[in-house]
Amino acid sequence: MSDDVTLTFAADTTNVRLARTVAAAMAARADLPIDQLEDVRLAVDEAVSQLILDARPGSTITCAFALDGGDLDVKVSALTRSGDLPATDTFSWTVLRALCDSVTAHSADLVVTLHLHVVRHIAVDA
Amino acid sequence: MTPPPAERRWGAEQRTREKELLARLAALAPDDPTRQAIRDELVVMHLPLAEHLARRYRNRGESLEDLVQVATVGLIKAVDRFDPTRGNELATYATPTILGEIKRHFRDRTWALSVPRRLQELHSRVTIATDALTQSLGRSPTVRELAEHLGVGEEDILDALEVRHAYATNPLDPPEGDDDPPRSVADSLGQVDAALEAIEERETLRPLLAALPDRERRIIELRFFENKSQSQIAEELGISQMHVSRLLARTLTELRAGLAAA
Repeated sequence: MSDDVTLTFAADTTNVRLARTVAAAMAARADLPIDQLEDVRLAVDEAVSQLILDARPGSTITCAFALDGGDLDVKVSALTRSGDLPATDTFSWTVLRALCDSVTAHSADLVVTLHLHVVRHIAVDA
Repeated sequence: MTPPPAERRWGAEQRTREKELLARLAALAPDDPTRQAIRDELVVMHLPLAEHLARRYRNRGESLEDLVQVATVGLIKAVDRFDPTRGNELATYATPTILGEIKRHFRDRTWALSVPRRLQELHSRVTIATDALTQSLGRSPTVRELAEHLGVGEEDILDALEVRHAYATNPLDPPEGDDDPPRSVADSLGQVDAALEAIEERETLRPLLAALPDRERRIIELRFFENKSQSQIAEELGISQMHVSRLLARTLTELRAGLAAA
């Protein structure tokens, strides 16, 4: 059985809470310690909020969560108006970088994807 | 704030008495047994103020008696913390403290009514267990470890964590502004400045950060500019990790709104 979960919702700030809740549940499945779990919740909140700002009216946001050993991988994507990659000299990017082990952004055909990767910082017995 | 009628009727005699009591209190050692009587007299002198402020919150579902009691707690705190050398009147100083106490009372009550009892209890157990396990493990526990420790399901732990974020205030948090705010130390200031220099919106961000309460600003600095974990921040500031996480979430939302409005 695959542990992957994909969530798609209208690009509206009222839906950010859904993404946060799923993020926390997936972080728990990845056996992340609570402080990292809460960081994942904040990171997904930040990434989704950032993409909503540039999302096309009426479009959707997709959050794809994947577990890989002790790692959690989250791809947040949206069809944007500009197709521009988010600037990396912003507070929002600083926040994402501090909350995740790696953050990258990709853009193709106006779809911008923020790729968050979180590595479990502790050894846990399976 | 305009003093209430009861205070305005104060004669010169009472003012002199208050000054005298405050001066005596200031001269006594913190453990002097005669302090209590002076403190009590000051509290009694200002009871009309507490009653007046409590009366403003009548007809909100709480008995006036309970409200006066809450207001009196605020008054006692104000008497204990009042520093006459700052040049304020005690009544001026006490008014916001009393109002704060009454407002907190209403917030706590709202929380108690809106969160199911099962979740309130679970939430409080999870908060305590998180800090206890962090101590014994030397790191933050996982949801699975918390579930085993408390003998509940992992879903229950997630529900309890969710509750933390779903409500604006929480009676388990230490009251805001009750402790001396943490101060940034000089070398971390350099680190924060360097990090801010790399941020394009720094001119918008600086005043937003400056407007935050000291503790919230310090948490933002430690987590995002000094790369401390939430558990490390909790330890440094002497609050629970769940409280750190809630303050972080709330403050980030505020900052994001502030940056977007600029």
